[in-house]
Amino acid sequence: MSNKTLGAGGKKDVGEAIVITSGKGGVGKTTTTASLGAALALKGQRVLVIDADIGLRNLDVILGLENRIVFNIVDVAKKICKPSQAIIKSKKSNNLYLLPASQTDDKDVIDEAEVRYVLEQFKREFHYILIDSPAGIEQGFRNACAGADSAIVVTTPEVSAIRDADRVVGLLSSKGIEARLIINRIDFDMVRRGDMLSVKDVQDILGIEILGVIERDEQIIVAANCGEPVTYNPKSKAGQAFNRIAGRVCGEQIPIPSFDGGSLWNRLTRRLGVNQ
Amino acid sequence: MLTAIKNLIFGGNNESKDVAKSRLHFVLVQDRTGLTNDEMSGFREEMVKVIEKYFVIDKDGFDIKYHRMADTTTLLINSPVIVRRVGSLNRTPANTVVEESAASNV
Repeated sequence: MSNKTLGAGGKKDVGEAIVITSGKGGVGKTTTTASLGAALALKGQRVLVIDADIGLRNLDVILGLENRIVFNIVDVAKKICKPSQAIIKSKKSNNLYLLPASQTDDKDVIDEAEVRYVLEQFKREFHYILIDSPAGIEQGFRNACAGADSAIVVTTPEVSAIRDADRVVGLLSSKGIEARLIINRIDFDMVRRGDMLSVKDVQDILGIEILGVIERDEQIIVAANCGEPVTYNPKSKAGQAFNRIAGRVCGEQIPIPSFDGGSLWNRLTRRLGVNQ
Repeated sequence: MLTAIKNLIFGGNNESKDVAKSRLHFVLVQDRTGLTNDEMSGFREEMVKVIEKYFVIDKDGFDIKYHRMADTTTLLINSPVIVRRVGSLNRTPANTVVEESAASNV
């Protein structure tokens, strides 16, 4: 089923298709797709990012490519254009390409068979194909999962995002798609104060392997403003996290940094109510 | 279960993330099993009764988790046991059982 070993930085005939999904909207799927795609491209991998959010496209804007769209995924699926005509090279990397979504159709305009056909057109040209799934669990999600070799589930350490992520992990499992987790927007001050679930809490609850942890970072918004993924900003903690995640996707052994803050004494006294 | 959650919210110095964890465990069991609130309570009560046939248990510590791992899901029932119950609720003396089966063979 899985091309995981093929994706481990080695030579292979066929690229690995990874769907980036979450259930809950607004947790960072598009940012992750763009930033992780950019990070993989920086490592020399040929990467295609596909916007599967038909009708609500955003991946183009995050990559700063909104003015360069001619054809989109629906055109490729319906054979209105050649596949090579629809993909757009990114601004900062010769290794990173975008296949945009259409903005005027709805999510039922293509089906899973057509999505598999689209993936087939590109699998021999790219090491990694990242598919940005829409929020939800309906046809758009099912389309985004079609032909995926594995999944990355994005969540934030919040109750509703985790609940939705849990449902999605279950659905992916029933499709035979293995999922790994990215925890986005974690705030370690809040974790230390006991006001936010920790990485371990989220892992205990969801029970799947953690691919990466990304701290809340204002630079993500700045990056979106400018249409340049945060990956290229060496000062951004989120950018650094995405670069580490790219390494792990390629099979490198990169440990998740221990963000565990606060001395043992502080944690004990806080528990006893002596250290508010 | 609800009382335990209320105690978490209103009693003690419990941090909000602990409340979140409890609530998530509760809600995810429902989501994963598809059982309604009433069915879950019913299941819990019956499990407690079954275990109480053989043991004296600490009901406050009794806990059911629906635990997902990579390929499988497991129901984890945590039941603190105080002492083995001597003479269970429904068990009949051994000689009576023998007589009954002897009778049924006739």
